Amino acid sequence: MTTRRTPVFFAVLCLAPALLGLVVFRLYPIALAVSDSLFNVVRGDTIFVGIGNYLALAADTTFWKSLQVTLWFNLLMNPIQIALALGLALLYVQKFRGITLYRVLFLIPIGVSLPTAVIIWRIMLTPDGLVNGLLNVAGLPAQPWLTSEGLALYSIIAIATWKGISYWMIFIVGGLQNISPEIYDAARIDGARAWQRLVYITVPLLRPTLLFVLVADVSINFLLFAPIFMLTQGGPADSTNVLMYEAYKSGFIFGDMGRAMAIIVVLVLLLLLIVGLQFRLLSRRTEAAS
Amino acid sequence: MKRGAALGLRHLAYIAIAFVFVLPLWWAIVSSLRPNSEVFADLFPFTPKALIPVPFSLEAYSGILDQGFGLIIANTLLVAVVTVIAGIVVNGAAGFAFALFDFKGKGLVLAFVIVSFMLPFEAIALPLYSVTLQLGWVDNIAALIVPSVANGLAVFLFYQFFRQVPSDYLEAAQIDGATWFDILWRIYVPLSIPTCISAGLLLFVFQWEAFLWPLLAMPSQQFKVIQVGMAAFQQQYQTFWNQLFAVAVVTALIPIVLLLPLQRYYVQGLSSAGIKG
Repeated sequence: MTTRRTPVFFAVLCLAPALLGLVVFRLYPIALAVSDSLFNVVRGDTIFVGIGNYLALAADTTFWKSLQVTLWFNLLMNPIQIALALGLALLYVQKFRGITLYRVLFLIPIGVSLPTAVIIWRIMLTPDGLVNGLLNVAGLPAQPWLTSEGLALYSIIAIATWKGISYWMIFIVGGLQNISPEIYDAARIDGARAWQRLVYITVPLLRPTLLFVLVADVSINFLLFAPIFMLTQGGPADSTNVLMYEAYKSGFIFGDMGRAMAIIVVLVLLLLLIVGLQFRLLSRRTEAAS
Repeated sequence: MKRGAALGLRHLAYIAIAFVFVLPLWWAIVSSLRPNSEVFADLFPFTPKALIPVPFSLEAYSGILDQGFGLIIANTLLVAVVTVIAGIVVNGAAGFAFALFDFKGKGLVLAFVIVSFMLPFEAIALPLYSVTLQLGWVDNIAALIVPSVANGLAVFLFYQFFRQVPSDYLEAAQIDGATWFDILWRIYVPLSIPTCISAGLLLFVFQWEAFLWPLLAMPSQQFKVIQVGMAAFQQQYQTFWNQLFAVAVVTALIPIVLLLPLQRYYVQGLSSAGIKG
């Protein structure tokens, strides 16, 4: 075992394609984003502008409004998704006759892609669609779900949540199955109630899983694109204009790649900052608890 | 008596939640089986008739075939299948090398592989367009396939699997004088079929659901894939409700049919990623 020598040629042959792919299509684009953000294209000529694009962003009210929308959107959506995914996972792991059917039904949105979910929900949310029809049964007035400034963002959150929570549930179910049942038995003997077992046993032991889900969920939602592109294109009145969409619009509609790349760089840095903070805050507490 | 009531309440809660998940897809299926003029019938006032496909019609499905969705689905399957096959070979080989060989800086390279799958694809989609431009691949099918083949998560899955294969196999083969290629092909590959399925499903779903990237990389839309084709169809034919539903149903059903029997492998693949994080 220890005397095994590395066959250099064979090892390189195995590693090269994957590593080359990751370097060219993952690492290099990041470097390119940073360098492209330092240039502007004016009448076909590429001109070095230094941090000009970033300075322009700092003075740009559209950018600040878009940043505000992005942060508010994520501040709401991520905690909601994780709380619901946790609740769903707790239901998923229960054992009783007939649970298998419910489990399959809980998993349905995983097979539905986000654009598919968006198309179905768009028709469900039209003024004379199914949702307003059901509201009508309950005696409630029809709502302009996707066309009003006050509601569109929340409709998008609801659609993304419908699509997302089953996926996150899978990870939490995995975490729950790693908790040994004896701990619960001991707690039950000590007279701990169901909610006490949840707060004092399940959640602390689940913390590494929840941290992973939180980080992965935030990363995806921070860069959410398809629902905004397909449903509102940032409107009405920029109320759903998240930074990812603003970057796309800048680069691919207005042809301003320098600004688009500057927004992407800011967005990814912001995401790294938030993820770093989450790691610090949440993994520290794990140490304190143990 | 009291137990019966609790049991009933529990089922009621589960049914209510399952209903929220099932209803959109159910209504989409039902509406795709109605003529377009009937999609919004029975909603105001709402009657349960809205949830059964009466009157029944298959016009939506023949309609989407006329719109060229047969070809679009074939395109997407082509992209996905090529990515899956190339991806299993490329990422499997890398995982094998990481698991069996030691070299300087291995920890660092492995960390890079792991970080590469924590960063979502959307973050690099716009600069990746610049890379594609430099390679001259814009509007070329290579732009959809090649950047998606190398996948950090898939490398990691294979690495994890190959690492726990007992070294007895390896030592016996080496005594017999087998070459490294033989060892990989004859011993490790057959053992790793479940991991191949997990990684293959991840790559398939990734390509099937790809939206932003094909939107950027194929600006002329000569070669359409399903998610982008569906979104374009939605923008162009806002009121072809039943056909929109039919496209959505087909788009959802194809991966569901694939995932249902192989669900275990898919979930395994995902949760291995979670454990590491």
